[in-house]
Amino acid sequence: MADEAKPLALKRAGDGLTIDWSDGAKTHVAWRVLRKNCPCATCIEERAKPPDPFRVLTPQEAAAGPPEPVSMKPVGHYAYQIAWNDGHATGIYPVELLRKLATP
Amino acid sequence: MNPAQQQKMSLPGIQHVIAVASGKGGVGKSTVAANLALALHAAGKKVGLMDADIYGPSVPIMFGLGQVNPQTTPFPLHKHGIALMSMGFMVDPNQAVIWRGPKVAQAVQAFLGQVPWGELDFLVIDLPPGTGDAQLTLSQSAPLTGAIIVTTPQDVSLIDARKGVKMFQEVKVPVIGVIENMSYFTGDDGKRYEIFRSGGGAKLAAEIGVPFLGDLPIDPRVAECGDTGEPIVRKYPDSPVAKSYLKLAATVIAEAGKPTSAPLPEVQL
Repeated sequence: MADEAKPLALKRAGDGLTIDWSDGAKTHVAWRVLRKNCPCATCIEERAKPPDPFRVLTPQEAAAGPPEPVSMKPVGHYAYQIAWNDGHATGIYPVELLRKLATP
Repeated sequence: MNPAQQQKMSLPGIQHVIAVASGKGGVGKSTVAANLALALHAAGKKVGLMDADIYGPSVPIMFGLGQVNPQTTPFPLHKHGIALMSMGFMVDPNQAVIWRGPKVAQAVQAFLGQVPWGELDFLVIDLPPGTGDAQLTLSQSAPLTGAIIVTTPQDVSLIDARKGVKMFQEVKVPVIGVIENMSYFTGDDGKRYEIFRSGGGAKLAAEIGVPFLGDLPIDPRVAECGDTGEPIVRKYPDSPVAKSYLKLAATVIAEAGKPTSAPLPEVQL
């Protein structure tokens, strides 16, 4: 647990988030990828269902355009909570997930 | 506040926040929390004790306090040099708090963030048993320095304690160590009776790779002191149990002094 890499600095870069890690790695993850893999209970359930080809976007989703974070705040010692421009804000992203979803 | 929108709060006046937890109920968390708070106070620290057990608050009895009028009494209350906050100060002891989870989370957050704790070296939090709303809220929103896991020696308690540890690991709160409570009883004949077996706490600590903080004997005076509102560390400071608590406080102070995991950096959006 103690020897896991920790994020040292996180900043927006282009269409995503760049993180410098304590083990020297530097990763980048697109907002699109983060939004798609939202770890909140609702989204996990949604992803488990077969895709609905006739799903209608909510007006908020349609107006929002590509996913952009409105805020991203640390939660405890272990995660970040992202509020998205489409109004969704319940996803708490553990730092391992931020690392796992990223491409180096 | 909507618990879904809870933010990590900063508690500027408080140096260290220590959670006392267990998986199982009845292992003596509140007793450990109260005595640890007093032992830290005896070591010259400014200490607060927050009772996060909303459904079954124990701090009022252990400190000889009862319900007060929240309209006229400023919180936190003070007794034996400790700043105290508990649900039991606001609700008639014969009334039950029948609340759903989100309400509990809200109360816990209010205790932490809205009570003017002032300048404290240590805020000890007496957690309710289990891994539910109060625990999650605290580990997500409070800047916890670390957690102490209390267990009794038998397997039925250890299995739940392990779950408590798992939760803290999941949310990256450092576990300071494991305490084995009700470890043995020393009879009049001087013989050591291991009533609930022994060695469980040490085994758990070794298994999860954290320090074993010691075993506390069963002493009927512990219960008596708790019920009369003057915990044993204060009433019988020379008893072996009180000495164990003072040793525990020294370990906690040493552990808190170590450079702990720094808070997560802010994101530059």
